[in-house]
Order: sequence, then C-alpha cells, then structure tokens
Amino acid sequence: MAATSMAAALAASLPAPQAASVPAAPTYEAIPASMSKAVDIEAEIPLTCVQIDGLVVTKILKHSREASSTTAHGLLLGLDLDGTLEISNSFPLPNHAGDDDDKTSKSIARYQASMLRSLKEVQADDSVVGFYQATTLGAFFNQSLIDSQAIHQDRLRHGGVVIVHDLSQTAQGNAYFRAFRLTNAFLDAYKKANFSTTSLISHRLTFSTILEEIPLKIRTNALLSSFLGTLAEPSPSSVQNAPPESATTSAITPSFSNLDLGTAGLARNLEQIIESIDAYRTEEGNLAYLGRQIGREKARAEAYISKRKEENAARIAQGLAPLPEEDVQRLFKIPAEPSRLESTLLLGQVDAFAKSLEGSASTGLVKMYAAKASSGI
Amino acid sequence: MPLGPSSSAIHIQATPAGASPAPGRTPTAVTIHPVALFSILDHYLRRKDDQDRVIGTLLGVRSNKTVEVRSSFAVLHSETSEQVAVDMEYHRTMYELHHKVNPKEVIVGWYSTGSNLNTYSALIQNFYSQETAPHQAVHVALNTGIEEGEQAGVKAYVSSPVGVFPKPENCVFVPVPCELRFHPAERSGIDLLTSTAAHSSSPTTSSHPTALPTTDLEVLERSIESVSLMLDRVLAYVRSVLAGERKGDPAVGRYLMDTLGAGIGTGDLEKGGFNASLQDTLMVSYLANLVRSQAEVSSRLALTTLSYS
Repeated sequence: MAATSMAAALAASLPAPQAASVPAAPTYEAIPASMSKAVDIEAEIPLTCVQIDGLVVTKILKHSREASSTTAHGLLLGLDLDGTLEISNSFPLPNHAGDDDDKTSKSIARYQASMLRSLKEVQADDSVVGFYQATTLGAFFNQSLIDSQAIHQDRLRHGGVVIVHDLSQTAQGNAYFRAFRLTNAFLDAYKKANFSTTSLISHRLTFSTILEEIPLKIRTNALLSSFLGTLAEPSPSSVQNAPPESATTSAITPSFSNLDLGTAGLARNLEQIIESIDAYRTEEGNLAYLGRQIGREKARAEAYISKRKEENAARIAQGLAPLPEEDVQRLFKIPAEPSRLESTLLLGQVDAFAKSLEGSASTGLVKMYAAKASSGI
Repeated sequence: MPLGPSSSAIHIQATPAGASPAPGRTPTAVTIHPVALFSILDHYLRRKDDQDRVIGTLLGVRSNKTVEVRSSFAVLHSETSEQVAVDMEYHRTMYELHHKVNPKEVIVGWYSTGSNLNTYSALIQNFYSQETAPHQAVHVALNTGIEEGEQAGVKAYVSSPVGVFPKPENCVFVPVPCELRFHPAERSGIDLLTSTAAHSSSPTTSSHPTALPTTDLEVLERSIESVSLMLDRVLAYVRSVLAGERKGDPAVGRYLMDTLGAGIGTGDLEKGGFNASLQDTLMVSYLANLVRSQAEVSSRLALTTLSYS
C-alpha cells in the first residue's frame, strides 16, 4: 500500500502534464524532480501538520465511547509525506487491567504484531506513526501517556504523535481532536531521568512546555465525501402528511445539540478541579518534606565539615597531622533531589480542567444571552 | 433514517410481547454504525486492480429482532469465473483480534460492495451462516455509487433456502430494512466529517480538502447563524403570506404555531432565573481563570524561587 498511496499523493501534488503520466506508469520509475525534495528516507523533513482520515475519526469516536473508562487507547497507522503526517487507519489496543505487567505487555505486543500483519494483507497501511488516547474534560496529562509517548519517540519515525480525543467535549457537540508530541527539552530531561529543580530550570520546563501541539486537519477521501453527501441529502419521506420533523428524511439529519442550555458537566468539572488540586497539594507536601529532609542532612554535613576544619586548624596549630576530610560523603547520605515531574503533571491537569471549565462557561454565557434574546424576557 | 433510495424491504411486524426470542429467528431490521460503513469504503479504495468487489465480516450485537452492526473488517477473497475462495484462516485471526478488544461484538454477517447478488454471494452467505449459527447471517450490500447509473446506498438482506433440495448455492436474499445508527455523543464527530466533506467538494477549496477542527465558540456561532438564517426564511415567508403574495399553507402555519407556542414557556430562564444563572456562570468563569493563573504562577515560581537559594 505504501507505494500506491505515495504514488497517488505524488500524482495529486504534481503539475498537470506530469500528473497524467505518473499514475499510468508502474511505480518503480524514477521519482520526478519536483518531488525529490519530498522523498525523505532519513525522516529529515520536520512534521508541520497531522492529517487524519474520516475513518480514523469514527474509529476513535466509537472506541472511546464504548470503552468503559477513559483508558481507551490505540495505535495510529499511516505515512508521512513532505511534512504532513497522513494517518489513514487505526486500531484499538486491548485494555491492560490487572494481571502482571510482563505477561500483558507480551500479549499486547503479540496482538499488535498480528494485527499489523493482518492489515498488511488487505493492503492497509501498516506502519505505526503514533497512538491515540481518550480523555474527559481535557485532562490528558498523566504519567502513562508521557511514558508511552517517550517510548514511541525513540522508536518511531518522526518520534510519533499522540492524538487526544476529548469525550466530554464531543458529547457537547464539538468533536475534539488534538495532536501533540513531546518537546525536545522535555525529552532530554526525560532521557536523563532528571526532574530536579535545576534540571527543570535549565530545560525551562513548565507544564505547558511538556507537549507541543501540531496543527491537525481532517480529511475525507473523495469516495467518503460523496457517500456522506448522499447520506446527508434530504429525500422526501414516503409517508404522506408526515409531521415536519419527519417530512423529509436523510440518514444524517442536521443537529443543534450544541445549542443545549444544560450545564450538566459543570459540577463534575468543578469536582475534578478540586480533586486534582488536592492531589497537587499532597504532592507538593511530599516535595516540601523531602526538601526539608535534604536541607537538614546538608546542614548536618556542613556542620560536620566546619567542625572538622576547626579541628584540623587546631591540630595544625599544635603541629599534628590533619584528619582526612573526604569521608563526609559516606557519613551523611544526602537523599537525591525528588523528581518534580509528578507535580508538574498534576499542575498541568489542574490547568486543563480549568481551561475546559472556562470554555464551557464562555459558551454557556453566549447560549444564555441567545436564549434570552429569543424568548424576549 | 433510511440509507439510500426507497427499497422494497419488508417491514415485518413485531411479534407480540411475551414471546420468547428463539435463537435463529429472522432479524427484522438491521442498524449500521458509521464506522462499519467507512471501513467498507476504505477497504474498497484499497482493493487490488483485478477485484470487482470486496467482502468482509460484520461484527455487532443481536438484540431481540434487530441486528446492530457495530464494526467490520476486510477479508481476503478471490472470485474467478469457476470458483470463489474466502480466506477463512484470515477471517478467524481477525475475529480473534477484534474479540480481544471488544468481547461483546460477535460475527453477525458479511458485507460486499456493489449490488450484484449472484451464486457466489449465496455460497459466501452459506459460509457465514455456519459462522453465525444458530442465528441467521445478514448480508449488507454497499453500493459505492461510482458506477454510472447507480445510486450510492446500503441494503441489507437475510437469506432463506429455496428449491426442492437445499443446496448452498441456491438461496433467496430477502431485503430487510436498514438504518444508520450512532450514539448521540458521536453526533459531533459525524458533523465534523460531513462539514469537511461538504467543504472539500465545493470547487473553490478542492485543492485543500481539509478543515481544522474548530473551537467551541466557532461551532456555536455557526449553529446560531444557521438558526438565525432559518428564522429569516420563516419571517420572509410569513411576510409574503401576509402581503398576499403567496398562498399560506395551513400545515406550515400550524407547525409554526406549535413551535412558537413551545418556545414561550422556557422554564428556568425567567427573569430572576436568568440573573441567578448569569451570576453563576460568571462566577464559574472567574474561578476557572483564577485557577489557571494560579497554576501558571505556581509553575513559574517552582522554577525561580529555588534558583536563588
């Protein structure tokens, strides 16, 4: 499939006279000069845009809704061409709950390999380019997402992307899909497994610089577009004198669900903000405790050193050999500085919840005034 | 919501309540999730040059009398003038893989593209009937509408044996009603796709067949604009009727009266209610902003305070 879709993409972007010759000829011919800059074996052209297919949109939607919790995740398949990552297919991964990790990770690997082989047999794209993750209320910051993305970043071409789909936003009438990847600064710190304060400062890391967003586009291929057009086209109902809502029928009726005044999600959203703030406070408390402990140990060590220095000075004054100073490291075990990753992530979560709350409040305001205007109060 | 041109599908009456659903009873309706349809279209796009049609397995759940098709996957097959072969091993492997992720979905039937039902269709149907026994297999024929003179659409069939001696290659495909069905929560995703599709088919923008997912407010703005356009249209119609330029349709008048009558008593938005809710909303918005700025300040402070110490 790789070859044919590449050829199709090449053909589409070529000027007209050349385009005529390319699809007819076998795909092994020399690559036209105009496309040679798009050929990118070493993945040197940076990604500027992610494009997802209609099929993938519906697959993610279905999987995220059906999975009981927000743990729905799966792999994205596709190709990159001239800076655009085209995601043409996806498949869900089984939810690894309970059991021992080693066994489940092995079975997932087997599942993945088997699925990729099977998809290849029916000419679907079979190169993994990233993964998708379902979330609610915009809070997708968590350790496991970062971990899996960091693993992908090493192994995949272009480091892979993660597509986040927000269930609660989608249910409110605005399909939410965003593409992200880890920033280089974060990745650097992650590889060194060093999230101490100095490392955060030197990498200039806050929660907003962990992930960078890549512009996302939705694509429907010509066949899908025409089919959707047919589905959405109203046709007169076969029933005579039908009420207006069923007088014309089409498979996809226009919907105005996003004009709903209901604010059902608001309380849940507030609760989640409180929960994550609590979690953040606990984490900060732990960090402060550890910080104090480090301070104490350091103070003790310094006191010891200065005492030893005084002693040595006294001994030298008395003409005796000075005592060795290097055993301080052995005497005092100064704990390593705690990782601030967790607290940064929690802060990111708080911010994301607040952002979605802000969004729903602002749309709520517009809707309220619209309703007021229409009901003439 | 019918899929495609009007069909001669039999709408079989539901059996009276209390009758126990016997296994193997004939399904009387088929509903299809968009993801199944889109997978079929994608499979059709990726077919080999020598393939006229593609087939695959439909997965879904059965309820009392309806079959709900929830997803589908492609199956390898080959058709020549002498024989038809379906890669059964591939079908089994794929089914097991799907089963791992979604244990609720079972094989309910098969799909093919094109509306051509022939002897091979009967043979494949026979194979799938064995897979779905004791239930009946459904067959969904999706016409992609790319051949001239044919309209895109989806038809669903169940089969029944015909002839004096039952033979696998003899069967009658009985059409059953078929609908598109998805969860209301998925609605916005489908809207996104239809708007993208509409956007890409307009000639001015055909070179950029893509649209960015928009923000909440933009979607809201679009909805309000379309409502206001509809109101304008109704207003223009009413004015022209009042001016006597056009003859009023009593049916339209009645619908208008019903709609406007329903709009008057909008419950919680009376005067006091409006102000109270307005204050709540503003408060929530203020809180959210406060939390965000606190979070931002806190993350910056974590970077600076300790760098001085």
